[in-house]
Amino acid sequence: MRQVIKFKIKRFDPMGAEGNAPYWQAYNVKLDHGMTVLEALLKIEKNDDPTLSFRRSCRSAICGSCAIMINGTSKLACHTQIAPEFEKHGEMVIGPLDNYQVLKDMIVDFTPFWMKMERVKPYLVPKKEPKGGWVITNEDTKVIDASQKCIMCGSCNGACNSQEIDEGYIGPSASAKAWRFVGDIREGDKRLRLDRISQEHGIWDCVRCVSCTEVCPKDVAPMTAIEKLREEALAEGLDDNPGAKHALALVDSVKRVGRLDEATMTFKTLGFLRSLGMIPFGLKMQMHGKMPHPILFPAIGKLDEVRGIYKARERQRKNERKKKG
Amino acid sequence: MALNYAYYPGCASQEITKEANKTTRKVAKILGIGLHEMPDANCCGAGLMTDYDRKLWLTLNARIFAQAEAMGMDIMTICSTCLMVMNTANKELRDDPVLLKEVNDLMAKGVAKGSEAALCYSGKVEIKQLLWVLAGEYGLEKLKAKVKRPLSWLKAAPFYGCHTLRPSDALGFDDPEKPWSLEAVIKALGGEVVDYKGKTRCCGFQVDLVAPDTAVSMTAKRLLDAKDMGADCMVTPCPFCHINLDNYQGMAEKKVARKISLPIFHLPQLVGLALGLNEAEMGLDRHMVSPESALNK
Repeated sequence: MRQVIKFKIKRFDPMGAEGNAPYWQAYNVKLDHGMTVLEALLKIEKNDDPTLSFRRSCRSAICGSCAIMINGTSKLACHTQIAPEFEKHGEMVIGPLDNYQVLKDMIVDFTPFWMKMERVKPYLVPKKEPKGGWVITNEDTKVIDASQKCIMCGSCNGACNSQEIDEGYIGPSASAKAWRFVGDIREGDKRLRLDRISQEHGIWDCVRCVSCTEVCPKDVAPMTAIEKLREEALAEGLDDNPGAKHALALVDSVKRVGRLDEATMTFKTLGFLRSLGMIPFGLKMQMHGKMPHPILFPAIGKLDEVRGIYKARERQRKNERKKKG
Repeated sequence: MALNYAYYPGCASQEITKEANKTTRKVAKILGIGLHEMPDANCCGAGLMTDYDRKLWLTLNARIFAQAEAMGMDIMTICSTCLMVMNTANKELRDDPVLLKEVNDLMAKGVAKGSEAALCYSGKVEIKQLLWVLAGEYGLEKLKAKVKRPLSWLKAAPFYGCHTLRPSDALGFDDPEKPWSLEAVIKALGGEVVDYKGKTRCCGFQVDLVAPDTAVSMTAKRLLDAKDMGADCMVTPCPFCHINLDNYQGMAEKKVARKISLPIFHLPQLVGLALGLNEAEMGLDRHMVSPESALNK
């Protein structure tokens, strides 16, 4: 006998009888072998409820239309088999992607998603072609390969912790797209791009929760793209913002004492004036013995080894730069 | 067989969250877990060095791993960010023998010739979180048997911390979609688990100084989420989550104009509480939010 599984689906229809409140509706689905969540939704729509709304097209994890929340995680409906999903969670709870405004049922407004894409100019601005044309090596391709695989399903933005709080945050999908061009050796507008996304609500506002990389159905690894963008931004000298200063303060702290010296890092990140604003909080911390001593900060043993590694790497980096031109 | 680890408390727990380090040592002693010092270990990069230079970051991590390898032990940390950073570095080094060689060469170049033994990492070290050790190798049954004072009065909300769970391909122990380890430890200690939406979400720590509004709002959201589900306290294996949930709770309260007063325990403290350690032994006076209401007095 085929298993029957209950689907608990979050419904919303601003024009419907329930008005503006979302509500839950249950449907029973008879399971076919290897059935996907999308197939179940299509079955419900066909047999039980033609008003159930969701986006879909290719059914093969290529078009990126059917990203929804499945048991609390952003996933492609067409790429998620029901049996293992049900076995893991013991239920099937389906709803629209988090962090987007819902238009109807599982259909969300992608306008902000596309506007963020536009913010990073998702096209190549070529610099002057060298004589004899561009030679793209395998290594050159490897650098941006993952970011080229994005199908713009929006799963990552739905999982993003920063975007949950700050709607204006550039987001993982647009960041991965930005890396696609910043990392391209033919790109001519690299610095301008990096400067733009180094501003507030840009790449430094990522909380590094790694949710984007975790949910991406195409292994784009947006979190890694954000790290690479930051690395390039620092290499370009775009470091006049708290995020960049914070990273550089850590690099300096490890070189100085081998460890993370939070008090000095705070001072270097915020600068003198904004650090003054932290004094009341610092005093409260001090009352609980929580303020690390900024001057008597103990260094690790064999610090020379760490400094030696820094030095050796700096030399190597200089040579790499020279080679790159 | 006795468990022994190269102990890497992480920078935060050597300073701001000293109480987590102090309690872990006491708890390990009671449980019979051997913790061996790594006095020469450097910072893992705290998820910030990757923004500056990946190769430098990998080499400094290889230095830590090489030290553990020389000790013949795996690493145990009580910091989830260290856990994530070190496991990510370890995966990159293990997946790419060419890269591993480059990193070892760079390490050899950097480390002065005068040092007794050349540092070299072969890729054999595992990096574990106290949580994994308790729920894994040590075992929940054995933990349960050591409990002196079951936490039967306590409704605890587990707060995993991003870096305990993600990226799962580098970490591997628990399932970010449906984690179980922290819940299992709370239950083994006799406590009741409070489930809530925010348990696998972010505390906001990484942007405390960069985007303070985002950070504090995020912290507030997680705290309220747990509080509204009836939690008496939250417990986290990550010191950075503790900093935001505890130290920044006052700011979070101001942000949402609501008193929250939710005690936040480090994982080792919750274990210590069940093992019979007292408040002073666990440095509970160092918390900004008083844990009194959760202590069953």
